[in-house]
Amino acid sequence: MKAKRTLGQRFWQGITKRVSGAGALLAKVWAHKQGKVGLIMVSFLVLVAIFAPSIAPYDPYDVSQRAAKGLPPSREHLLGTTINTGQDIFSMLIYGTRVSLIVGVTSGVCIAFVGSILGVAAGYLGGAVDTLLMRLVDIMLVIPTLPLVIVLTNVLGRDFWIIILIFVALGWTGLARTIRSLVLVLKNSNYVKAAELAGASRWHIMTRHILPGTSHLLIMSTALSSAGIMVAEAGLSFLGLGDPTAISWGKMLAEAQSGGALLFGAWWWILAPGLGIFLAVFGFMRLGLVLEEIANPRMKRTSSVYKLFKSLDSSYVEEVFRSMDDYQKIGAAEVASGGGQHYGTGLEA
Amino acid sequence: MTKRLMLFLLVGLLAVSSAGCVGGRGSHRPDPNTLYVGSVQSSFPTAYMPWLSREGIAPTIAGLLYDSLFSYDEETGEYLPSIGREWYYVDKDGKPILTEDGHIDYARLEEIYSDPGYDHLAVKVIIHDNITWSDGVPLTVEDIYYSFDLATNHALSNHAGALAWTSDLKHKYNNGVLIEKGIFTYDHGALEQGYYIPPEEKDTVIYFHVNKVLGAVTPLFSSVLILPKHVWEPVVSPQNQLNSSSPNEELLYRYTHPVGSGAWVLDTAESGSQQIVLRRRPDYHLTKPDGSPLYAVDTIKFILYQESNVAIYALLKGHIDVLDTSVSSNYLLLFAKEKDLFISNAPGTFTQTLVFNLNPVSSERNPVRNLLADAEFRQAMALAINQEELIKNVLDGAGERASAGLMRPSLTDFYNPEADKLLPEDYEARLALANSILDRIVPEKDASGYRLLNGQRITFKILGSPGEQDVVSFLQIQFKKIGIDVQYAAKGAQPESTYLYTSKFDLTLQGVIFSLSNVDIMFPAHFTTLGRSSNYGRLVNDKLNQAIEEMRYTLNLNRKYELLKQIQPMIAQEYYKVPLYTSNVISVARTDRFTGYQVVEGATVFNSASLQNLRRVEGR
Amino acid sequence: MKLSYVIKRILYSLFVFAVVITLNFFIPRIGVEDPAERYYPPQGNMSDLEYEIVKQLTREQYGFHVSTWQQYVNYLKGLAKGDLGTSFRPGSPKVWDLIKSRLPWTLVLSVSTMLIGLVVGVLFGVLAAVKRGCWQDTLLLNASTVMVALPSFFIALILSFYLGFEWEVFPAYTDPNMVSDFSWTWEGISRVARNAALPVLSMMVGSIISYAQGTRNAVIAVTNEDFVLTARAKGLTRNTIRYKHILRNSLLPIVTSLGMSVSGLIGGQVVIEQVFNWNGMGTLFLEANNTNDYPLMMGIMLLLSGFTILSILVTDLVYVLLDPRVTVGDKR
Repeated sequence: MKAKRTLGQRFWQGITKRVSGAGALLAKVWAHKQGKVGLIMVSFLVLVAIFAPSIAPYDPYDVSQRAAKGLPPSREHLLGTTINTGQDIFSMLIYGTRVSLIVGVTSGVCIAFVGSILGVAAGYLGGAVDTLLMRLVDIMLVIPTLPLVIVLTNVLGRDFWIIILIFVALGWTGLARTIRSLVLVLKNSNYVKAAELAGASRWHIMTRHILPGTSHLLIMSTALSSAGIMVAEAGLSFLGLGDPTAISWGKMLAEAQSGGALLFGAWWWILAPGLGIFLAVFGFMRLGLVLEEIANPRMKRTSSVYKLFKSLDSSYVEEVFRSMDDYQKIGAAEVASGGGQHYGTGLEA
Repeated sequence: MTKRLMLFLLVGLLAVSSAGCVGGRGSHRPDPNTLYVGSVQSSFPTAYMPWLSREGIAPTIAGLLYDSLFSYDEETGEYLPSIGREWYYVDKDGKPILTEDGHIDYARLEEIYSDPGYDHLAVKVIIHDNITWSDGVPLTVEDIYYSFDLATNHALSNHAGALAWTSDLKHKYNNGVLIEKGIFTYDHGALEQGYYIPPEEKDTVIYFHVNKVLGAVTPLFSSVLILPKHVWEPVVSPQNQLNSSSPNEELLYRYTHPVGSGAWVLDTAESGSQQIVLRRRPDYHLTKPDGSPLYAVDTIKFILYQESNVAIYALLKGHIDVLDTSVSSNYLLLFAKEKDLFISNAPGTFTQTLVFNLNPVSSERNPVRNLLADAEFRQAMALAINQEELIKNVLDGAGERASAGLMRPSLTDFYNPEADKLLPEDYEARLALANSILDRIVPEKDASGYRLLNGQRITFKILGSPGEQDVVSFLQIQFKKIGIDVQYAAKGAQPESTYLYTSKFDLTLQGVIFSLSNVDIMFPAHFTTLGRSSNYGRLVNDKLNQAIEEMRYTLNLNRKYELLKQIQPMIAQEYYKVPLYTSNVISVARTDRFTGYQVVEGATVFNSASLQNLRRVEGR
Repeated sequence: MKLSYVIKRILYSLFVFAVVITLNFFIPRIGVEDPAERYYPPQGNMSDLEYEIVKQLTREQYGFHVSTWQQYVNYLKGLAKGDLGTSFRPGSPKVWDLIKSRLPWTLVLSVSTMLIGLVVGVLFGVLAAVKRGCWQDTLLLNASTVMVALPSFFIALILSFYLGFEWEVFPAYTDPNMVSDFSWTWEGISRVARNAALPVLSMMVGSIISYAQGTRNAVIAVTNEDFVLTARAKGLTRNTIRYKHILRNSLLPIVTSLGMSVSGLIGGQVVIEQVFNWNGMGTLFLEANNTNDYPLMMGIMLLLSGFTILSILVTDLVYVLLDPRVTVGDKR
C-alpha cells in the first residue's frame, strides 16, 4: 500500500511532471523536420499577437489616426489604407492576429476539454451515458453546421465569447467520438483491467489511467481544431456574422469586398488578410500533424493525411470536425486489429 | 495511359471554359428605347398584391403602376393633381369653402367647423374624366369608393397598413359590417347626406368625411393607391381576401397581371424574378403643358442586383443606365475616373440624431443615467458635437448641417432659424461653455481627463448598428474634449423591443425624416407618446405636447405653420434628439444614351423629375 | 440479421429526423419576444386601441396569434402535407417554390465541382499512389497542406479580382440575366458556363486535391492488402490488378465520403455564392437570415438535414450490404 503523499507534494509533483513532459515534447517537435517550421510559425504569430500594439505603426481602433481613404501601399502605409474608413491595413493585419489566435486557441482548448470529458465518459461508462451522448452526436452531425451557426449568431448575438461558445458547442462532437473509440480500446488494456481488479474507483481510473492515455490525441486535436476554427471564424466574419467591434481577418476580407476593393483594384487589401489566415492555419496544422506523428509514428501517417482529405470537403466548418470523426473509421479499426499498415513515406513538405 | 487521360481532361476543361468566353459578352443595353435601371434589393416580387409591402422595390413599382388621388409637394405643402383634379373643403351643403381668389379659406373653415355639432370635416374631390385603366375600362369615382371602402374593411382587405392610412377617414367597418359611413358618391348616398351632384358629374365627384385635423387628408390623398373595382370586386371575399397568404387561382392571376391607372404597365411576359419591365401607356391622362407625353422614356427595365458593388460594376461596364440606389461617398473617387457619368450628390432628408434616455422607467434608473435627466447636462453634451467635423470625417463632406429643430433648412417657409440660435456658432466657444457647465455639475476628473461621478468614470453606451461604429468613434473624440466617455454598444436583432421601448439604453443613434407631410404623425410619436413609440427617452413636456396637439388639430393652416415654427425651438431646447448631420444621397447614371437627369432632394437620380425630363442622346 | 439492422437504422433515422424538426422549429424562436414585431405597420394617427387591433390582425395574418405550441403543431401538420411553409417575402411565395427555383443553380456549381474533382482527383490520386515517393506524390502532399490553410473564399476573391476585374476573362459577378434569360440553347448554356467558371474554379482545386488524397491513401492501403499480393503471386497482369482489384476496392471509402457530402451539394457553398452573387441555395439562406424570414430559414435547414440523414442512411446501408467484411456490430 503506497503511503499517501500530502496534497501539496502531490500537486507539485504533478506540475513538475507535466512541465518536464511538456519540455520533452517540445524537444521532440523541434527535432522533427517540419516540426521546426510549425513551431516557428506558431511562436511568431503568438508574439505578434501579444506585442501587436508595439509592432503596428498605427492603432486601427483609434479614430484620430486615420489617414486618407483608399491610399495605395507606400512608405507611411505599408499596405495602404482602407477605402471605407482610411485605417492602416498593415496595422489591422497585425491586430487581426489577436482575434484569430484567441478565438482559435480558446475554442480548440475548450473543445479538447469538453470532447475529452464526454468521450471518456461515453467510452468508459458505457450504457445509458454512452447511448445518450452518441445519439446527441448523431443529431448534431446531421444538422448542417454553417446554417446552424448563422441562425445561432442571429439568436444569441454576435459577442466575441458567444461565438467561441458556438464553435465549441458544435465542434466537440468529432473529438468526442474519436476519444470514445480510443477509450473503448484502452478499456481493455492490461493496466486498466488491473486497476479495476484492484478495486480502484471509476473516477480514479478515468482520470488517472484513461485520460492520460488520450493526451497525445488531445494535444494534437487542440492544434488541428484551432486551425479549423480559425478558418471557420474567418468565414463567419466574412459573412458579417462575427463580432462587429473586433478587427479580424475575415472581417477585413468582408470589408474589402463590400468596400469595393475589387472595383478599385486594391488587391493588397485582399491579399493581406488572406495571407494572414493562411499563415496561422498552416502553422497550427503543421504543428498538429507533427504532434500526431510524434505520438504515434507507426500508424498515424496515413490517417492524418486521410484526415486532411476529409477536411477539404464542402463546408469549411465541417472540415476538421469531420476529419476527427472519420478517423475512427480507419484508425479504430486498425487499433482494434492490433497493428497498422506500414507506409513508405510520411509527410514530406 | 494515366498521363494521356489527364492530358485529355485538361484539354477538355480548357475547351469548355474558352467556349464560354466566345459566347458573347453579356447584355449591354440592347434596346435603344429602354431605360435600364439597376436596383439593389434582396429579391424582386413576382406577384403584385395591391397596396404592396413597404419593402424593397415594391413601393417604387406600385407608384408607377398605380396612382393615388393627389401627390404631395414637400416644398410647398400643396397637393398636385394625379387621379384627382381638384379638391376642396366643403360645408354641409357641399359648397367649397374658398376665398375670393380660389384658395382655401381657413378662417371660415375654422369658423364653420368649430360648431360642436360637426364631428368631421367634409372634403370634396373632383377627378379627371379622361382616365382609363390599363385594360381600357374608364376610371370613375366608383373605383375610388371601392378602394377606400375596401381599405377600411379589414375582413375583406386583410391589410393592416391600409387601416393605418385611413385611420382619419370616418368610414369604419367592424368585422365586415359597416358601422360608420363616410364616403359619398352619386350612387352611394351623396344626396341623402345633403350633397347634390348633377347627373353629368356623377362619375367624377366624391365626398369624404374625415377627422377634424388638417393632416387627415394627406395619407388619403397620397398613400392610398386606387384599385380597379371591376377587377377586384368579383373575386374579393372574406374567404379570398385582397391580401391573401394563400391566393386562389383567380386572385393569383390578378396579382401577377396588375391593372392600374398609372402611366406604366407591367409587361408580364418579360418580367421575372430578376427583372421587371414596365411599358409606358401612351393614353395616360396627365401630360406636359404642351400636350406631349409626361414621360419621355418608353420602357423601363429594372434589373436586380443583390449587392451595390455588383450594381456599380454593372453600371461602369455599361450594363445599365441608372443606379437606383444611394452609394457611399467613397465611390466618388472611382466615378471621377470615368467619363459619361452623371453624378447626383443630392441634399438628403435623412437626419442622424443622438437620442438621450432622459426619463427611463424607474427600474432602469441609475446614477449615471440620472445625469441625462438634467437638461443642462444634455446641453453641455450637445455643445460638444461638431457637425462639420462629423460631415467631413464620416460622410467625406457629402452631407449638410442639420437643424436642432429637426426641420430641414431648405424648406425655407417652414424652417425656424431661431431653433439654431440657442448655441454659439464658434466651436471653441461651445467647448468652453460646455466645460463650464460640466465643471459645475461633475467637476471631478480622473487622470485621463474623464469626469467622475462618485469616484467612477462616467461612461455612456451609445447603441448603434455596426455601420454606425464610425460615427460613435468620432463622437468619442468630441466628447472627450468635455471629459465624457462614450462607448459603442451593438444593437441586436430587434433593438426596439429589446432595448428601446424598455429604456434599456443610455444613448442611441436614431435617424429621422421630418417633413411637412408627416409632422402630424411624427411629432407626437417622437416627442409625446409614451410606450411603444419613437419617444425612446420618454420625454414629457406638457408645453410641447400642448403645442403639438394644437398644431395637429387646428383647422387654420396659417396657425398650423406658425405653431410648427414655434415648436422647433422648443424641441431644440430639450436637447433630447440632438442632430448630428443630414447625409446626402449620392447616386449615379450614365449619360451615353440618355441625358436630362434631375437632382431631387432626398432622392436618387432615378426620380419622377428625371423620368419626365430624359432625352435620348442622338446617334447612339 | 441484416434485415433487422436495416429496419433499426431506418427507425433510428426517423427518430433523428423528428428531433431535428423540433429543434429546427424552436431554435429561431429563442429569445425572441414577439416574432411578429417587424410586420406591424406604423401606428400613424391610430389610437392605441385601434393599433392594438391592427397588431392583432397582423399577428393573425402571419400565424403568430396562437400559442407557440399550437404554431408547432400547425407546422407539423403542414409538413405532413408536404408544405414547408410560406415565406415572409412580399408576394408570400411558398418556401418550396423558392427552394425549387434556386436549387438547380446550386447543383450546377456543386455537381460540376464534384465531377471535376472526382475525375481529375482520382486520376491524380492513382498516379501519386503508383509513383509513391516521387515528385508527383510530394506535390500532392504539399498541395493538400497548403489548400487546407487557404480558405475557399479567399481564393474566390483573388480569382474574381484577377480573372474577373483585371483581365476580364470571366465575369466577376454573375449576370442576372443568366437565370431570367435561360434557355436550353447554346447561348443560354454557354452563358451559364461562363458565369459558373469562377465559382467552380474556386472550389475545384480543393475538391480535386481532396479526392486525390483519398484515392492515393485508399490505393496504397489496398495495395498492401493480402489479396493483392495473392493476385500478384498468381501472375495477373499489372493492369488487371490495378483496375479490377485495387481501384474497385479503394473506391469504397470515396463512396462513403460522397454520401456524407450530399448536404454540401445541396446547401451549396454559402460564401462562394455570396462572393460571386450566384443565386443559389447559399444566397437564399443568407437572404432569409437578413430579413428574419423564419419559414424560409427553417425550410432550408430542414431540407438539408433531411437529405443528410437520408444520405447517411443510404451510405450506411450500401456499405453494409455490399462489403461483406463489415459486420453489423455497433462500432459507431
